[in-house]
Amino acid sequence: MIEIKNVNFRYKGSDEGSLEDLSLTIHDGETVLLCGASGCGKTTVGRLINGLIPHYYKGELTGSATVNGRDIAQTELYDLAGVVGTVFQNPRSQFFAIDTDGEITFGAENIGMPPEDIVSRKNDEAREMHIERLLDRSIFELSGGEKQIIACASVSVLSPDIMVLDEPSSNLDSSAIEKLKTILSDWKSQGKTIIIAEHRLYFLRELADRMLILDNGKIVKELRSDEIRALTFADTERMGIRPLSLADVTYTRENVSKHDEMLTLENYVFTYKDGKHGINIPKLELPTNSIIAIIGHNGAGKSTLARNICGLEKKCKGTLTLGGKTFKAKERLKICYMIMQDVNHQLFTESVRDEVMLSITDKQITDTEKTHRSDEILAQLDLSEYSDKHPMALSGGQKQRTAIASGIASSKPILIFDEPTSGLDLAHMKQVAGEILKLRDMGKTVFIVTHDLEFILSCCDHIVRLEKGQVVENFELNKDTDIRLRQFFTNES
Amino acid sequence: MIKIHLDPRTKLFMIFAVSFIVMVNAVSPMEWAVRIIVTLIPVFLLANEGRYVSALRFLLCYGAALFLLKYYISAESTGVLSALLVGYCGIVAQFMPAMIMAWYVIHTTKIGEFMSAMQKMHVPDGISVSLAVVMRFFPTIKEEYLSINDAMKMRGISFAGGRITKMIEYRLVPLMFSCLNIGEELSAAAVTRGLGAPVRRTSPVQLKLKAADWLMIAVFAASMILFVISKYFR
Repeated sequence: MIEIKNVNFRYKGSDEGSLEDLSLTIHDGETVLLCGASGCGKTTVGRLINGLIPHYYKGELTGSATVNGRDIAQTELYDLAGVVGTVFQNPRSQFFAIDTDGEITFGAENIGMPPEDIVSRKNDEAREMHIERLLDRSIFELSGGEKQIIACASVSVLSPDIMVLDEPSSNLDSSAIEKLKTILSDWKSQGKTIIIAEHRLYFLRELADRMLILDNGKIVKELRSDEIRALTFADTERMGIRPLSLADVTYTRENVSKHDEMLTLENYVFTYKDGKHGINIPKLELPTNSIIAIIGHNGAGKSTLARNICGLEKKCKGTLTLGGKTFKAKERLKICYMIMQDVNHQLFTESVRDEVMLSITDKQITDTEKTHRSDEILAQLDLSEYSDKHPMALSGGQKQRTAIASGIASSKPILIFDEPTSGLDLAHMKQVAGEILKLRDMGKTVFIVTHDLEFILSCCDHIVRLEKGQVVENFELNKDTDIRLRQFFTNES
Repeated sequence: MIKIHLDPRTKLFMIFAVSFIVMVNAVSPMEWAVRIIVTLIPVFLLANEGRYVSALRFLLCYGAALFLLKYYISAESTGVLSALLVGYCGIVAQFMPAMIMAWYVIHTTKIGEFMSAMQKMHVPDGISVSLAVVMRFFPTIKEEYLSINDAMKMRGISFAGGRITKMIEYRLVPLMFSCLNIGEELSAAAVTRGLGAPVRRTSPVQLKLKAADWLMIAVFAASMILFVISKYFR
């Protein structure tokens, strides 16, 4: 049993994610879903249970948290390792080893389990989770979904009774989410207690025994399993959370693209060094001044296509024809701008304004004009008040907007987004959708690599679906075709 | 080709031996012979990992460096050109072999094997865990660095208008932030899985020195002994 009593917590130097007089009892074998907007404190609750608060993340803490009768504050983290297991959001940063075997056995090694036991535990775990084929592989070869499954296995190897999952589905496609769901229901049937903080909720509809909605560090609503299943799209929309069933999400948009021109991609053939992955697209015609979603499973070649459109792969001989002009890879770098999934990689300067000014490369423009123009763009994206701040001091969403602002400043006609909504709550997802619609109004053509059905329905005009590096579907999104899109997201598993 | 699998202890010894022999100045033909053999073994291992192109490229550079050293460069050479050539030869003949060896070790050693080897050598857990994290970080830094480079290309600032300090700053600042973040999340994930427990870590990897290991150890030990004798005891 987990008991959190009157906990107040504030992170050192930040108000985000703090808790206010929070009390919560979780019984053995219960599956509890924590949701709410970013910064509402749901991750903090998980950290109270796995002991990262107060042992790793420092801050002001009052009240008590006990797990199976043990006071967390008095228990060392290594003693909790066999009691509470944690799966984190980002597979990239939770792996200690670089091979799957080493990763799975890491926890067992740490607590000094005898070598023979470690091997048999690893093999049992692999068998139970049906991941024998993933053993003895390099972490860097795995897809995001496979990495997250290895993360689950590496936690489960110590057989903790309590599992804490912090936004585990953020980087996953729908079939990987399906696998995660299977793992969760196996854990549930083994009687484990599961605490899961999430934005995407639809895969937890059948699993959750209880759902807690947090706002500003307080539990504002509590729902039992029958109430969770009864929630309609309108209900979740009102509560500000993502829907609990994808079937409820429908296409209701009025604001559609009025494009008249087409752009043509030709001869996009590219293979990675491993000889297995790549794309092969002889010809693809797409509308300009539209928002084009590139969808498909992990590993289908979506990001590869995006990189190639951008001109980041010199070896690709493909061309892009736009407005009667044909662009080769090197020339495409000058007309395309990509907003990466990890925007930290593309912020270089010391202030948000400098960041935007760096993108205005036209030598004819004077510095004062540049400043003026940057400030205009920043105002459009609600960033004016941050224009003198260091980009790294901003929140994730603000950083993303800064990157979008530099994209606009570069006056390139094509903008490409790589999974712009992974790990975003409803409000932020809608905000991104709004910004992308603005980009279209400015006359840009926008490509979006995404796994997010709701997001696609709220802003995209056109769908390209890739499978094994080839285009299998290419259609305009409207009231008649949204069923086709939905099929991909719901029936595929 | 059969992939050669060496014990991490052998590999560590090889790094040490290669660095020692190629860094020390070679004069006599005997010393040169030892040095060339010691350079060719890492190149062979590189090819064994399937990096034929890199291996061949290095061999050509190395051949050129040896040729230059023998026929064009002497202790009396002066001038800018010969200074550049001396620099080139120094890098290719003296640094690259050790770099190739280090690449090979990092590329082919699993963290589990490494930890087990460190344990057998009775290195304290604290030191071996830190070293393991360093090893784990190399591929991560490479991945991050490549994405940052892509971002710079896209914004047309790869050369930052020719200002070298900016070129370095634009690369290093995001890289440092990324690595810091990853490091912080990584250690949070590691401590929740019991890292730091006051028990001796165990390892499921059973290491045993095999024929290939003994052969390599013998070759490198012999090379070092020959080199030292020919250099200091004659």
